[in-house]
Amino acid sequence: MRPFADIDDQQCVMRARQGEGRAFSELVARYQDRVYRFLLRLTRSRDDAMDLTQDTFMRAYQSLDRWQPDALFRTWLFRIARNGAIDRFRRDKVVEFVDLDEDADVPDHAAGPEAVLETAQRLRILEEALERLPAEYREIILLREIEGMSYDELAQVLGLQAGTVKSRLSRARAALLDMVQRRLEITS
Amino acid sequence: MSCPRHEDVSAYMDDMMAPAERPHFALHLKECAACRERLDVLEALRDDLQAMPSPVLGYDLAAQFDERLRTRGARRMPARTSWFGWGAGGLAVAFSLTVGVWLGGVLAGAAVVAPPVGVARVFDPVPPGGLCAAPELCRLSRGMQ
Repeated sequence: MRPFADIDDQQCVMRARQGEGRAFSELVARYQDRVYRFLLRLTRSRDDAMDLTQDTFMRAYQSLDRWQPDALFRTWLFRIARNGAIDRFRRDKVVEFVDLDEDADVPDHAAGPEAVLETAQRLRILEEALERLPAEYREIILLREIEGMSYDELAQVLGLQAGTVKSRLSRARAALLDMVQRRLEITS
Repeated sequence: MSCPRHEDVSAYMDDMMAPAERPHFALHLKECAACRERLDVLEALRDDLQAMPSPVLGYDLAAQFDERLRTRGARRMPARTSWFGWGAGGLAVAFSLTVGVWLGGVLAGAAVVAPPVGVARVFDPVPPGGLCAAPELCRLSRGMQ
């Protein structure tokens, strides 16, 4: 039984701040799989994603007093998750986060390959392509397409200007299409 | 096939174009086969991304949290912005640091005071009554040279 199931995120946070631990557990129940899914695809490691998911909620709980009611809880939570992943990348030197040249040319493949392949194979290739994208492109695509975040939320989670969100997302999509195209050429 | 406005297709698909700009781009779409094709491809890409398998954590982290909060009473870090926010303990630490710095300053100040001349003379390179080869070796003031 989840006594806080009918209460929205913001109210849960307020109740948790007042010392009701089960209100925070309700937030964990709502977001644990979403945070894990994001971290799994961002880190490409199941162990890291599990560890970082726990760490994200622990950090969030310990920092509840710093949460501002005008911010969406999920935006704040994903920002904690994302920053935790970046810290680990940098510590382990697994993935290098570099400043992207937002004006750099990205190959433009308008012709989509998706009509050619069966769904399962297409999705497998898409997953592989996503893994090979630069982390900065991967994270914005995951947050937009899978987590359904608005541009404002993307700006908050990723610490970007609104204009940069628009251009980076466009380039990330173009880069992903290009990657899919290359994977298709390899497999065909 | 490509079009210089390909970058705008992404924002158009997300309905994130400026309101004044959107109708103009809609007109462009009617005339530009490349951008229409691009829009189709991006929509298909979005659908495929959303259709990807959704991995799950595999255990009930919420229940673990619940248990931990009830049994161990995991404490949250309160937002403390000054020494006063830390209460009596913080004040005691602040006082100790202040006294420590003050004492350190007093003792360090004493350490750099020049020793009495009589003590320094023990280490003079020229024995008492000897001739001084150079003024800087004998600590002679200019008035004594």
